[in-house]
Amino acid sequence: MAVNQYTDVNGKPITFDSESHKDFCREFTISNAKLSLRTILIYTCIVWLLAYAVFFITENTVVLSSAIIVTLVSMVIGIHFVKVDRETLLIIRSLGVQVSSSFASGRECTTFIEMSKIKDIVINEAVYMHRVIYYLCILVKNPSDPEMISSVVPLFQSSKPRLNCLEQVYKACQEVLLQN
Amino acid sequence: MVENSPSPLPERAIYGFVLFLSSQFGLFLYLVWAFVPEAWLHSVGLTYWPQKYWALALPVYLLVGLTFCVILLFGINMINTAPLCSVDNITDSYAKGQRIDCGQNGSPPRLKDVSISEINHMFYLSQEDFK
Repeated sequence: MAVNQYTDVNGKPITFDSESHKDFCREFTISNAKLSLRTILIYTCIVWLLAYAVFFITENTVVLSSAIIVTLVSMVIGIHFVKVDRETLLIIRSLGVQVSSSFASGRECTTFIEMSKIKDIVINEAVYMHRVIYYLCILVKNPSDPEMISSVVPLFQSSKPRLNCLEQVYKACQEVLLQN
Repeated sequence: MVENSPSPLPERAIYGFVLFLSSQFGLFLYLVWAFVPEAWLHSVGLTYWPQKYWALALPVYLLVGLTFCVILLFGINMINTAPLCSVDNITDSYAKGQRIDCGQNGSPPRLKDVSISEINHMFYLSQEDFK
């Protein structure tokens, strides 16, 4: 495979990078497609034309200013809270796993799970909306009770890569975990 | 012991015919109630009818209720689907409580759930052996 042609479950292309820093430390990054200027312009034009049509009918200028304010506020909120730029998984044997997602505004949200709490990293299939998807998840256990799964942390939630990408991450993670 | 079979029987034919007659009668009665003016009905002597408003309202209620139920059913299914972060996608109380039996010699082993780690090993880690 010369080119990394991976897609997510909806068919949109994503980028997958895998780095092996050491024998016991691996890092995987999955990036979504960037927000394209064309889609932003199209949506803004549609919303503002609709607002102008409503203004034309009702002759009330509040419609126009509220449409502008709503568009700007929703864009800012979307960029800061909704649009995920890339998601990273860093696994270090005997230390733990760090999951971080960085948003389009530059905000980064990081979680760390220590190795004694991790039971396994598996690929599971589950019903999502109207279909079944594969997703990678960390099975979290209490150190005091090694057989009970206390919670499940799904990984790569906003990019949702397909099975070919997940298999690579799974194999690399299992190499690191099984050496433990 | 009664045998259950969907074959035609004389009783079923009678039930079917009774249903057919009563549904035709019900339709005729509904049409009479909806279209015949109140004065004519009172003059014959039939005075105790529901309001004519309901002749229009009941079908509309039924159809709106049906549409609502379809959407509600879809919504209930989506609510009851376990989210991706739930443990119910991995295991449940029955699987946790199953007994691990070594089994006697020669007999098939006890039926049990295979844990997800084993399944993943089987699917995704052993492919190199087959290639």
